[in-house]
Amino acid sequence: MAEVVLENICKTYGNSFKAIQNLNLEIADGEFLILVGPSGCGKSTALRMIAGLEDITSGHLYIGGRDVVDMAPKDRDIAMVFQSYALYPHMTVFENIGFSMRLAGKKKAERKQRVDEIAKTLQLTELLDSKPANLSGGQRQRVAMGRAMVREPAAFLMDEPLSNLDAKLRVQMRAEIASLQRQLGVTTIYVTHDQTEAMTMGDRVAVMKGGVLQQVDTPKRLYDAPVNAFVAGFIGSPSMNLFEAELSRGTLQAPGFALQLPDTVLSERPALRGYDGRKIVFGARPEDLYDSTLASGRDHQAIPAEVVTVEELGSEHVVHLRLDAVPVDSGDPDAVEELGGLSNAVARFEPASDVHARSRIDVAVDCSKLHFFDPETHLAIR
Amino acid sequence: MTARGPKANYKLGRKVAPYFYLSPSLLVVGLLMLLPMGMVITYSFQESAVLRPDTSFAGFKHYRAIFGDEVFWASLWHTLYFTIASVVAHMTIGLAFALMLNSDRISPMLRSVLRVLYILPWLFTQVIIAVIWRLLLDPNGVVNSILIDLGIIGSKVEWFSSVETALHAVTFANIWAGYPLFMVSLLAGLQGIPKDLYEAADIDGATGPQKLFFITIPQLMPIIVSISLLDFIWTMQVFPLIWLTTGGGPIYATEVLSTYTYKLAFSQYNLAQAAASAVTILLISIGLTLFYIRHQKAR
Repeated sequence: MAEVVLENICKTYGNSFKAIQNLNLEIADGEFLILVGPSGCGKSTALRMIAGLEDITSGHLYIGGRDVVDMAPKDRDIAMVFQSYALYPHMTVFENIGFSMRLAGKKKAERKQRVDEIAKTLQLTELLDSKPANLSGGQRQRVAMGRAMVREPAAFLMDEPLSNLDAKLRVQMRAEIASLQRQLGVTTIYVTHDQTEAMTMGDRVAVMKGGVLQQVDTPKRLYDAPVNAFVAGFIGSPSMNLFEAELSRGTLQAPGFALQLPDTVLSERPALRGYDGRKIVFGARPEDLYDSTLASGRDHQAIPAEVVTVEELGSEHVVHLRLDAVPVDSGDPDAVEELGGLSNAVARFEPASDVHARSRIDVAVDCSKLHFFDPETHLAIR
Repeated sequence: MTARGPKANYKLGRKVAPYFYLSPSLLVVGLLMLLPMGMVITYSFQESAVLRPDTSFAGFKHYRAIFGDEVFWASLWHTLYFTIASVVAHMTIGLAFALMLNSDRISPMLRSVLRVLYILPWLFTQVIIAVIWRLLLDPNGVVNSILIDLGIIGSKVEWFSSVETALHAVTFANIWAGYPLFMVSLLAGLQGIPKDLYEAADIDGATGPQKLFFITIPQLMPIIVSISLLDFIWTMQVFPLIWLTTGGGPIYATEVLSTYTYKLAFSQYNLAQAAASAVTILLISIGLTLFYIRHQKAR
């Protein structure tokens, strides 16, 4: 087990494309850090650089206090779980898990003892003589974990290990990996583009975009206090609704409605006063928009909206709305335009709500929960 | 008579259609392959086959005759040597060149040039290959001249005319002509091996040779076995290259089953014994083919 430190790590390809720019991260001993971001943000490249599978153009990388920039992958004391699992198809589960020990010249008895221990932990004992082709997705995933565990590494590196599993199995394996990591206490860096995995598995989450680290924080802090509109839009599903408005004497003025900000909002964010009379970006999480007919007792203001469609999920209704306001792009390249542009906001209503498509309703907004961003830099206003 | 319903007609049509489509090729195979094969098998059991109209049943007489002929056994051993050496060398050279062409360490430009150069022998027919090597290995040819200049040999060697060197020389020519098939097939196989297997092996601590033996070769094994079996079958039947370089000589030194059979038929006009020899080759080929088919099914 060890601390992993990335110091000003850069990766530039031959065509001068900068995949990673000045990445600084300190991952504590035993910590579970999630690297998350949209496609092409550099998260997998960063992980592969830590593994030694990609050269580091500049910067320092310390694993357990040793600078490992010039070391081969095998000498870095890490183990990696690949997105495709990368199991050796011609080897049995036993041979796959014990391969690194075989290469290290360990005796068969020693290998057998260690592989058996790991197989027991991962419930693979019955499958030790099977080939990967005869295993299910979840079993393959566990073999890949076993192959990483057998090395007793200082750090685990995991590159989207659940992306090939079906939704149900993914939820199960998510919990298994998180619990296994806590049980083993090994420093783990886990790459994913799935922000649900990011929010549920890690101690901290590092959000990347375009090769640049945006924010590293606990899942709760990322959700509650995103540093910019990108993090605000990327973290959370459905995404935060972002709109343009003019701030005038504590009132947000959008084309079709106005929202009076409570004094607490203004006092908690002194920088907001500097935006008086100027354009501003404000964001509302879907769960902070309510069905006004059910919002009794809550401190809210109502704005008119048209219901475009309703997704009834049982525990909640995901309601796609059209508000008379100008939406703002968070900068997430993977974001899908809301229903082909018909709607521009998403709300989560209680299942008791009986709103239906093509109706006009009043949506209640909890203004104390709004987020504010600079319209130019997209940085959070606090 | 009951009229057939559309459903019954449809079912009958579905059953008959495959045979209908296959019938032209089955007819051609029957006429050009099965019929001659049957005739050759018949001849091998006849006295004075083809040559005289009043043939009689000879039993295994011709088989006993060829199995009692020293030249037949010499031909069989020469065939095995020629075939095994060719297949092993084809595989080794083909794999080495495929690995080289698949390597990132060589520039893409150089790789393209080498790919064309290495594949050249495949473009030539056996007749051209025979002519090229007869010229190169002529006592006054380029090979002798270079070897003498380098001090490797002291005097001119008659590669195709010496009993000691002739079999090795024709085998060498055949190796040169045949490795590109392996190279191309193995290169395609190499390009199909997922890169992350090597990355996983890197992290597991594998060295270059360990990656070759634990990842590359096992991954290529289905291709290696398939092509080796096919090459074995084809090489065993090689005729033009040997006929045009040494003609089976000197003194049977390069006699292989195909030249032995040819000579029995068209030099000695002993068509019945030639048929017995051909049937022996056929049986060996069928054995190998069955092995190949079983391997393909197992895949």
